[in-house]
Order: sequence, then C-alpha cells, then structure tokens
Amino acid sequence: MQLRIPVLFILLCLVLAGLIHIAAVLTLPTLAPKDAWARLKPLGPANTMIPIPPASPGKSVLPMMGPDVRYAICRFDLANGPVRLKATVPDDLWLIAFYTPKGENFYTVSGADMRRGQLDLIIATADQPVAEAGVDAPEEADQVAVVTSPFKEGVAVIRAPVVGPSRARRAEEALKGTSCAPHRNKPAEPQEQSEPSEPPTGTAN
Amino acid sequence: MRTLLALVVAFVIALLLGISSAWYMIDRGIPLTTTRVGPWSSWMSEANLNADPYTKAHLARSGRLPITSTTARYFTARTDSDGRALTSACEYSIQGAALNARWWSIALYDDQGSVIKNPSERYSFNSEDAIRHSDGTYRISLAAHARPENWLPSGDGPEHKLMLMLRIYGPRETDADGIGQIPDDRLPKIERIACS
Repeated sequence: MQLRIPVLFILLCLVLAGLIHIAAVLTLPTLAPKDAWARLKPLGPANTMIPIPPASPGKSVLPMMGPDVRYAICRFDLANGPVRLKATVPDDLWLIAFYTPKGENFYTVSGADMRRGQLDLIIATADQPVAEAGVDAPEEADQVAVVTSPFKEGVAVIRAPVVGPSRARRAEEALKGTSCAPHRNKPAEPQEQSEPSEPPTGTAN
Repeated sequence: MRTLLALVVAFVIALLLGISSAWYMIDRGIPLTTTRVGPWSSWMSEANLNADPYTKAHLARSGRLPITSTTARYFTARTDSDGRALTSACEYSIQGAALNARWWSIALYDDQGSVIKNPSERYSFNSEDAIRHSDGTYRISLAAHARPENWLPSGDGPEHKLMLMLRIYGPRETDADGIGQIPDDRLPKIERIACS
C-alpha cells in the first residue's frame, strides 16, 4: 500500500499534465492577442493596398520583418465579391503571398513566375464564379489568374527585397504602383466556371 | 483530507509540468517540428494550412507572417556555434558560403524582434550587398563598433540579447515535397571572438 499510492499519484500527475499540455497548445492560437492578423488589421481598411513602413529600431508592424525587404499588404474581404490585385513587378525577386486570417500561407507567386512582369490576380472563394475571360483586353486575358481563398477574409502580402539603401526607394515606388480593389464581374450571360487556379505552392509539406 | 491534499498537489505539479512542456515545444520546438543545424533552427511546416498544433501555436504567438518552406526558408539563431547566447557584450564573426537561392539575407534583431539602432542604419546583409570573396564565401562582423568588410552593428548602450535571422527566398534545391533544401554546411558559422 505504501508503494502503490506514489505510483497512482505520479500517474495522476502525468495524465493531468498531459491534458493541460494539450489544452494549452490547442487554445493558444485562438488566445494569442498579437498574432499577425491583429497587428495588420488596424493599418487600414480592407481591399486596399497598404504599404508597410520599413522596419526601424523599436518600430516594426510585425516582429522580425526583413529590414531589407519592403512590404505592402492588401487585407481582402470577399463578402461583397472577388477582389482584384494588380501590379507591375519590376524584378524576379518579388513574392506575392496569400494568407488566411490565421497566417496560413495558402498560395504564393513569385516575380519569376510572371510573364512580362504583369501581375493580375483575382481573389475569390470557391463558390464565387469569376467571369475572368474578357474582363480586359484580350491580350491580357491569358494572364489573369484566379486565386481561390479558403476563407472570406485573408491578406495578400507583397515582398520586394531591396539590394541596398540606394535601391530601397525604387522598391517603395514600385509598390506604390500596385493596386487591390473589389473586382466587378461584367453583368454578362453566365459563363462557364473559370479555370481552376494554379496549384498552391504551399501544400506539399 | 489526505486525498484532497494529494489531489491539490497533483494538480499543481501537473499544471507546472503541462504548461512548461507546452511552452518549450511551442517556443523552441522539438525534432518533429523544427530542424536544428548548429545554432540555427527552422520550423519546417510554418504557415502551412495543415501544420501541426505546435507549429500553429508557435506562429500565432510569434506574430510573424512567414512564407511556407517551398518558397522561402527561415533560420533563426539565438546562440553562437558553441551554444552560448548571442549578446551585444560580445563580438562575433559570421562565416558563410554561397547559398543556392534567388536571394538571401542575414538580419540582426534584439530579443523583441526589432532591429537595433545604429548610426549607419545597417540592419542586415543580403546576397546583393554583402562583400563576398571570389569563392562566394563571406564574413560578417557582429560588433558594437566599426569593423572592416561587412559590419553588422550590435548597438551600444546597455547589454542586450541578440537574435539573427537568415531568410532565403527561392531556394533552388528542393526535396520530393518541394521543400527548399539548404545543405547543413552552407549555413553560416557564428564564432565568438571576444567579450567586453
């Protein structure tokens, strides 16, 4: 009897500790008060391109932002329909990454993937048909890609790496030339379902 | 009465054990979630839709918004290659080799993830602006006061902890899952030179 009580006691401790461990790990993401979404939301309204001020001592919108990367974000809200993102991408290094509100990166496209440096993307949920063909000049139509967002809300982040302080301004200027705005479908006859978007790059691991 | 006391004690022990193990696995990671190479650690499935709960908790707590490992790799170091915590009281030599990637950058932060104030506004070196030797290797001096070649200022003022982040965009070698691969010997060594 003297021996069995400690064993039972240790077992009880371990089981309780396991339960507390699991509860802590599972609830943390919903409790974390300052995740990236919470930090980005106050920057401005949805469906607008917002340049993020470069990281400076003691001032950084997100922790550990690249001091040699210039960022612009578009927090999209698809409640009233798809959102269109356009940019002229000056070099291969640009990365355009799409995130869920929890910070999951469901799609990424790089400057090197783009033909003629023109980025033209429509963000839509799976149940929002996008009549993409013919929304613009025909020669551009083949470049409009549809990104399917798993949720109605999310954020697109454009990263423009800079190669030295002298070129930082160039990256900042180029980011100013990007746009993010609600996309209006032509009130045309119902078209066939738009082509599926390119496979997300981030699902493999 | 004794049973009640035992229950209370068990609960307190369990609370300490459960929370501290959760904290460790979320903050530092274990081999299932992170790869460690010398002082560098990297969360493998960071920002993935189907990441494990530890990685998800780590991401939410960090406040960062990383790209998945198929497009970018992030390595952080809080210690030198001998495992001693990085501090502004010491001087370090970071020696690295060329990386097979579209772009990379080594940036210095304090333990809050903020860049460190210095008169030359130098917070990082990247594949475009670091002075490199003819064989592609480079040396970055992490020091409070100016050094030749690549000087990454660790700031004067009171002693503070330091954190390095190596971000690699577009790694060209990938494994079967498309995850960017960085050979272990390509990650920089962080050597402590002297302390004040």
